[in-house]
Amino acid sequence: MNPRRQVIFVLVVVPLILGAVATASVDDAQSFALQAAEPYVREGFQVREDYWGGDLAAGEKKAVRQQLFKGNEYWFWMGTEVRHARISVHIYDKEGKLIEQPDSWQKGAFAAAHVIPTSTDSYFIIVSIEESPEERTHWALVYGFR
Amino acid sequence: MISVLKINKWAGFALAVIGFSVQAAQAPQHIDVKQYKKVEGVVVPLPNEVFGALNKLGPVNWKEYVRTEKGANFSERPRTALLLGNVIADGFIAVQAQDAPAVKDIGQRVLSLAKGIGVGASITPHAKAITEAADKRKWESVRQELDRTQSSVQGAMNELQDQKLSQLVSLGGWLRGTQILTAVVSKRFTQEGAELLHQPDLLRYFGDRLTAMPEYSVPVVESIKRALVEVRPLIDSGSKPISPEAVKKVNEITTRLDGEIVTRQ
Repeated sequence: MNPRRQVIFVLVVVPLILGAVATASVDDAQSFALQAAEPYVREGFQVREDYWGGDLAAGEKKAVRQQLFKGNEYWFWMGTEVRHARISVHIYDKEGKLIEQPDSWQKGAFAAAHVIPTSTDSYFIIVSIEESPEERTHWALVYGFR
Repeated sequence: MISVLKINKWAGFALAVIGFSVQAAQAPQHIDVKQYKKVEGVVVPLPNEVFGALNKLGPVNWKEYVRTEKGANFSERPRTALLLGNVIADGFIAVQAQDAPAVKDIGQRVLSLAKGIGVGASITPHAKAITEAADKRKWESVRQELDRTQSSVQGAMNELQDQKLSQLVSLGGWLRGTQILTAVVSKRFTQEGAELLHQPDLLRYFGDRLTAMPEYSVPVVESIKRALVEVRPLIDSGSKPISPEAVKKVNEITTRLDGEIVTRQ
């Protein structure tokens, strides 16, 4: 490859490839979150098209703030494409009190939290990568209601 | 765009292996939420999320709120974005009313508006799916396609680096949803219905977004900015319940804004 082509390759092609890889990983994480949601769709939960996503280091947590409405029932499903990762999702009210239902669960690359809000308000959904073989682990969070 | 069909094979395999032999989640009973870094993205609730909660409080005559007038077209992109969100919200109202002709009209109107701001290509398959599902009276499919429509419009806008227009679509939908919520609750006041208005963080979010788009300072956007300031104390009453007067006032404000969004002035 001549020097000019090498420069073009480094400046144009490499970033495109890296971008594509990053996008694919987030998409895969979303795919996992949707997989966790699938059985609940059959129970009448409407899963939103929009979702949250990103990447976190092992042991790192982040908070998603979301408006919930009293009268509805919600599930939040989290997924990652990293096979040996262990992730979790939990729901807290504004005062920091855990308010999820006891059937909330976590298992490897999947986790889900169930909440029946007792008031219409903003809530905090805490997403966490508990363990992961990767330096950064992609995650996605989707939610559904009925 | 999310579709259950997008689920990859590894995800399916992994869940099959797990077989839902899940373990109970261990989590602290209390946390200090201020210590956590926040995820920046905001997912604005769709109107039907509020409408679903309203339905549980008693029967609502949704047909009363169906609107299918074509209305004006605008050359200003922020106005079209607001109107697009407003019309998608009308689609959710028509689904509640199970009004197939209205749903089909609204689907075509959404397509026309999306074309007007250069994102029609991403909407065409959804408009077709909305019409087909309405013909078959598959209301759950219509609802899902409306959600996909909004998501696709916003995705296409984001690809065009028009995130601000995308936020205006959400705002247009939220305002129309809030107008209908307050109309329903005003007609038959209940404390539970009024409580559905308690959305101060969303109001703050929209206010911040509008402040960050000085390039879109068309009159209707300025009106909305002022109105959000007016609405805030009405719906964020601390420990006091939201009063019937506050609900009526929010309805007046959102009805006025709706008029500004849908009509040429």
